[in-house]
Amino acid sequence: MARRTQDRGSASIAGLRRKQLIDIYYYLQLTRQVEQALANLYRQNKILGGLYRSLGQEATAVGSAFALRRATDGTGDVVAPAIRNLGALFVMGAAPVDVMMQYMAKAGSPTRGREQNLHFTDLDRGWIGLISHLGIMIEVMSGVALSFRLRGTDRVALTWTGDGAASTGAFHEGFNLAAVQRAPLVVIVENNGYAYSTPTRRQTAAESFVVRAPAYGVYADECDGNDVLAVYEMTRKAVAHARSGRGAALLEVKTYRRLGHAEHDDQRYVPPGELEAWQARDPITSFEEGAVSAGWLQERDLERVRTKVLKEVDAARETAEASPLPGAEEALAETLGGEHARLPWTRRTPPDPHATG
Amino acid sequence: MVTATDRKATRTERPDHVRSTELGKPVTLLEAIREALWEELERDPDVFLMGEDIGAYGGAFKVTDGFLEAFGPDRIIDTPISEAGFTGAAAGAAHMGMRPVVEMQFMDFVSCAYEPLTNYIATSRWRGSGPLPLVVRGPVGGGVRGGPFHSQNPEMAFFHTPGLKIVYPCTPRDAKGLLKAAIRDDDPVLFFEHKKLYRAPFLRETLAPDAAIEVIGRARLHRAGDRLTVITYGMMVHESARAAEILASDGIEIEIIDLRTLLPLDEDAIIESVKKTGRALIVHEDTRTGGLAGELAMRISERAFEWLDAPILRVTALDTPVPYSPPLEDYFLPQTDDIVKAVRYMVSY
Amino acid sequence: MARIEVPMPQMGESIAEGTVSKWLKKVGDDVARDEPLLEISTDKVDAEIPSPAAGTLAQIVVEEGKTVEVGTVVAFIETEKGALAAPPAQPPVAPAAPPLPAAGPSPAALAAPAPVASAAPATGSTDGDGETAEERLRRRSTPLVRRIAAEHGVDIASVSGTGHAGRVTKQDILSFIDQQRPVEAASSKPARPPAPAEVTGDFWSIFYGQVRHPEFNERPGDRVEPMDRIRRLTADHMVRAKRIAPHVHSFIEIDFTRVDRVRARWKATWEQQGSRVSYTAFVAWACARVLREFPMVNATVSGDSLIFRGEINLGIAVDLNPGLIVPVVRNSDELNLVGLARRISDLAVRARDRKLKPEEIQGATFSITNPGVLGTIVGMPIIPEGTSAILGTGAIEKKTVVIEADGGDAIAIRKRAYFSLGYDHRIVDGADAARFLSRLKETLETFPEDAG
Repeated sequence: MARRTQDRGSASIAGLRRKQLIDIYYYLQLTRQVEQALANLYRQNKILGGLYRSLGQEATAVGSAFALRRATDGTGDVVAPAIRNLGALFVMGAAPVDVMMQYMAKAGSPTRGREQNLHFTDLDRGWIGLISHLGIMIEVMSGVALSFRLRGTDRVALTWTGDGAASTGAFHEGFNLAAVQRAPLVVIVENNGYAYSTPTRRQTAAESFVVRAPAYGVYADECDGNDVLAVYEMTRKAVAHARSGRGAALLEVKTYRRLGHAEHDDQRYVPPGELEAWQARDPITSFEEGAVSAGWLQERDLERVRTKVLKEVDAARETAEASPLPGAEEALAETLGGEHARLPWTRRTPPDPHATG
Repeated sequence: MVTATDRKATRTERPDHVRSTELGKPVTLLEAIREALWEELERDPDVFLMGEDIGAYGGAFKVTDGFLEAFGPDRIIDTPISEAGFTGAAAGAAHMGMRPVVEMQFMDFVSCAYEPLTNYIATSRWRGSGPLPLVVRGPVGGGVRGGPFHSQNPEMAFFHTPGLKIVYPCTPRDAKGLLKAAIRDDDPVLFFEHKKLYRAPFLRETLAPDAAIEVIGRARLHRAGDRLTVITYGMMVHESARAAEILASDGIEIEIIDLRTLLPLDEDAIIESVKKTGRALIVHEDTRTGGLAGELAMRISERAFEWLDAPILRVTALDTPVPYSPPLEDYFLPQTDDIVKAVRYMVSY
Repeated sequence: MARIEVPMPQMGESIAEGTVSKWLKKVGDDVARDEPLLEISTDKVDAEIPSPAAGTLAQIVVEEGKTVEVGTVVAFIETEKGALAAPPAQPPVAPAAPPLPAAGPSPAALAAPAPVASAAPATGSTDGDGETAEERLRRRSTPLVRRIAAEHGVDIASVSGTGHAGRVTKQDILSFIDQQRPVEAASSKPARPPAPAEVTGDFWSIFYGQVRHPEFNERPGDRVEPMDRIRRLTADHMVRAKRIAPHVHSFIEIDFTRVDRVRARWKATWEQQGSRVSYTAFVAWACARVLREFPMVNATVSGDSLIFRGEINLGIAVDLNPGLIVPVVRNSDELNLVGLARRISDLAVRARDRKLKPEEIQGATFSITNPGVLGTIVGMPIIPEGTSAILGTGAIEKKTVVIEADGGDAIAIRKRAYFSLGYDHRIVDGADAARFLSRLKETLETFPEDAG
């Protein structure tokens, strides 16, 4: 049965201390500032390929990840962030410099330059790097969740999917498997209005995505994705459900992607006025206004956080910019258990087709 | 990283149909595979099986007959029809340190899992997301009148994907030893079992109970000879052996190398043999275009061209889907006579 | 002072170019890091480009309205000393698309691959340099053969080939090298033998290596044929063999009564088996056993050494009519009588069908020739080079002979034949030859009943 978490007042704040509210704000700002720095770097040709921002969606990633049990020794909950869940990575403990090095393809990146943007893994801190194919992470995370049940631990697996990825067969196969195996998997559909240029109404004929939940026989809930505390509360309850062994959960957040699919997308398909309307509901601004007007935090708390974040981002950027690209031979790095790809015979001196290894 | 907590290895009362080797009785290829699975499930609590109809039904080919009763539904998992889903899930469980063995009811259906296998699983270690110790196993091969979708040899669809291992044994001893190796391997392994060999009486052999685990990536000398080297795998090893008998009565002794592992290839073994005989014939049941023979021929050309006393040639199936009707399927498949003719041509070149 | 490059960025994976739409700063203006510096437009988006560093816009390289490739430097920022730590000079920008592999040697520079030697084509198609495919095939050979040729410094063109389209096979070249004599290539063109090469090198190599046959004038009515390959080989070989060994011949007469009796006893059995056991088989059987007792007869002189062969490989001369070839029964002493007979028969049949393998006409250690089958009483055969003896068997005929019986002499009719042993007197002395022949006679005249 679908619920709808709407409370934003004292009911949801009851569980959060002041320090936690500051942390939430920190992660929101960190996400936004890092992405802004990345955008600049992109336009300065220091990032190649694609840059995918989460402007306007930061609350869904931060709020939901914040509801998890986090650890640094591989005993906490596990997430698989999608491309617009940078905020969740920061909540789980990722370092801004690592993210920047990933984008800038540096040798010191977590994948040594072999993979880009958020495609990196840290099993100790509890996240599994995504790949570009959509839906696969639901399948993978259903297996992660299944392993928790099989081993009798009470860890939870959580991942996000866009409105677009919810159309894939992989979404269905993965989620159905988790549901029927009563695996502790929480899937949050981030309905942000568009999959690249495709509006949600071309993605599904249903009124939402959470309406699928009864078809899988799972716990369901939805909330306003731009309300970080509502997102937190909704996730907290779903995670508790999963952690207690009662099976999978399907959640939906309504939010909006204020920029294009990537930096190279100029959003010509967006009807006039839509961007402005959602800008007025910016999650960070909403949180700031709400926190101050409700008296939870003061402006100087917020200012302190912003200053701290700016310093941190600048430092990370400098380190990342100064670090080197990988050496060309890194391309021969391992694929199978220590075996390196073979050096092409024309790259040997002298060229020698008979040589092995 | 967290390892198994309170799950102990299951020492169960072994039913007779998994005790043949223990009792010194010969086993078929299928029984050898069954023993390997059972023994690994007993030995390592992190090993578990996933697949369609493997539990209550014991598997479409009865490989896992009796397993559910012994190991329970948390180790023998009957999945929905979701090849991509449970293969991707196997990856997730492997991330967490478990060792899932996925059964494809027919390997023809592995195509549904192409996505997770090639883009996610094969790349995981290289991307820094860690090794994925999982096995995807299932029946392959034709000659059983199964039609185009129950007779395929899909190995080449995955062959050019760096990061996967592909194992394709053709004897009970190799099947048992290599499946155990695959399960213990930290990298993802595709394990192909020829369905026509599953219960073939001529293949029955008595295995040593304490047999060593075989090594993935090493070919096996099936027959020694000096006039020509046949490089082959799967059912074609046995067809080549039949051809060898016919040729031997004419004084032509061919050497047969059973690859056993397709990826990584035991290139050294191949090259050593070709340098000795000077002639290489590649035989596979897979179709011609894009089959393994092309890759092997190139490797032989790269390393042993000056030793060749005849062109490198191949005997393969036709470039069509596998036909259903017996005369058509028999025409489609490589026959013993094809191999004999090829060898005769090459030794008189 | 440090000049920082401002590159045209790549706004999307397939974008290759960008146009400078508008400069938002003029040369000399101060600019902060990340402050918008210019506007660009591409196929996908228009975008504002932020400055990569704080400083002064020092130089505009690309004017408004110009389109340049991604990565092109459009301007320079001069950073002042002591300002924000300037990032180091940017490395050259790599395009997002994987770079083309480092330029290797051009295809022409790489060793030109050998033309594919396909099966001999039916048509005589020519390629660029006027050579037919068949000619090329005859000139080329498999990599293995070429390697062997290279290792031994042999020109393949000088070896006659028995493979497809006259290609030189591995056996051809190995036997060529084995004999260590350069054989003049068989020519298919009916022409006079090529002008002989100039005599060079030391005398002995020439004397043992080269053969030239003197020419004679043709007269009207004569028919001139070029020597075919087998005739050529035989002719050269015979000349050389005579040059090498000082030939001596000894004779002995063999009584075949006993052999006949053995044949009669086993005839039915052998017929059932489908075996035909000829007299030659009996002789071969006996030679194989007797040679063990006389190693010098199964040997050869080699330089300053004597090589006593370990195997007993009997060369049995076969008449090809025309021509002659000597197939070899290897390890003949390991075969029993019937086995030997079968082997000889098989070799003879295949010899006549020209289906012998090269290894089947090599390696003889002792030879047997049988002119007697055609009626000749006795012969004085030439010792094949590389061996030290050859047995010639004469016709087996019924003769009247004097035997000792009942304490006195009597006349009897017996089947008898003359055998001659041609031997190399460098290694086989007359007494050896005599003892060999005597033992051979004894063996044949007391032939065991169960040798089959």
